[in-house]
Amino acid sequence: MKGTLVRSLIALAGFLAISASLSAHHGSRVSYDLTKQVTMKGVVTEYQYQNPHIYIMYDVKDENGTVAHWGVETNSPIVQARWGWDKHTLKPGDEITVTVYPSKVGATRGYLSKLVTPDGKVTNLSAPEQ
Amino acid sequence: MRLGFLALALAAGSTLAFTPAVHSQATQQKAAESNQAFDPHDLSGAWWRHGKSGSTLSRNNVPPMTPWAQARYAANKPGIGRPDRIVPLGNNPVMQCDPIGFPRIMFYDAYPTEIIQVPGRIIEFFDYFYVHRTIWTDGREIPKDPDPTWYGVSVGKWEGDTLVVETVGFNDRTWIDDDGHPHSEDMRVEERYRRVDHDNIELNMTITDPKAYTQPWVGETKTWKLDPKLELREDVCVPSDEEKYKEEMRVPAATPPGK
Repeated sequence: MKGTLVRSLIALAGFLAISASLSAHHGSRVSYDLTKQVTMKGVVTEYQYQNPHIYIMYDVKDENGTVAHWGVETNSPIVQARWGWDKHTLKPGDEITVTVYPSKVGATRGYLSKLVTPDGKVTNLSAPEQ
Repeated sequence: MRLGFLALALAAGSTLAFTPAVHSQATQQKAAESNQAFDPHDLSGAWWRHGKSGSTLSRNNVPPMTPWAQARYAANKPGIGRPDRIVPLGNNPVMQCDPIGFPRIMFYDAYPTEIIQVPGRIIEFFDYFYVHRTIWTDGREIPKDPDPTWYGVSVGKWEGDTLVVETVGFNDRTWIDDDGHPHSEDMRVEERYRRVDHDNIELNMTITDPKAYTQPWVGETKTWKLDPKLELREDVCVPSDEEKYKEEMRVPAATPPGK
């Protein structure tokens, strides 16, 4: 737990150091509501570790057993490497806890705020700038 | 042929086999410990770029646009940048992996640049989009009637401790910045680099383009900070990946359910 906290603080410090212009160069962030955050648990179906943005497709099951197919995007691989991400960060079948800035129009898409991977590692990206 | 020479130049730059920078690089390593000595005519190294306006030349003193430029500015629809300008999808050329071009490539704080100096030229290698530009320092004149290109033709010379670079020869298909400011083929860009101390370069840029702006656009001072341990990685824009991302993320995120 302590290790997780330390890692989070290191990640946060890293973020603050370079946050001034971590803007989504491929122009999707405007589609998300940066004043809201939604947290959910899901199972990874696809981990796209590529430009322009890494994105994760995952299934979320509600209490009735209905499955919704979600997608969350984040920075490019080269930027996300500063949080220790690489090609091994996720794989299909991984159970994750995701906090997203949701789509403004109610689509099952979001921009990553926080991710907890099966090994307990936390990636916590503060509110990105427009 | 040209690529072959570039590869050779880059190899030379990275191994520092025969460039004049060899000695100054060694001095630089030592200076990093003492935080003092540096060669003001040596800009080599990997640098993080900073500017308070982010991804543009400056935000506060954009000169008035001509009617020609106003029409283009109105047609350009950015996905990021000023809140009054952005729309969910837009027509930002880089969203289909068109070249980002110069000077727009100069403004991204989150991505570093490596400067490689070899005799007769300075190469800027950009992590972002994994592209380079060459600044010729072999005494040649700036071409008078250059062909249009994405990154221009650049000639540099030292004025005291300031490297003054002139760039001409553009097509008019790129934006100057994320806000979608246009430019014409007649744009001229002046850059003035000065290594103010061991760890910092100050860069001042001015855009002159009478077809688009009624006065020269004098940018804010940008600061580039040395990162001796930094190694550039590749950040390639891949059209097929961009298309897949657009289909799976960008368009669905902006589309209400059921539509």
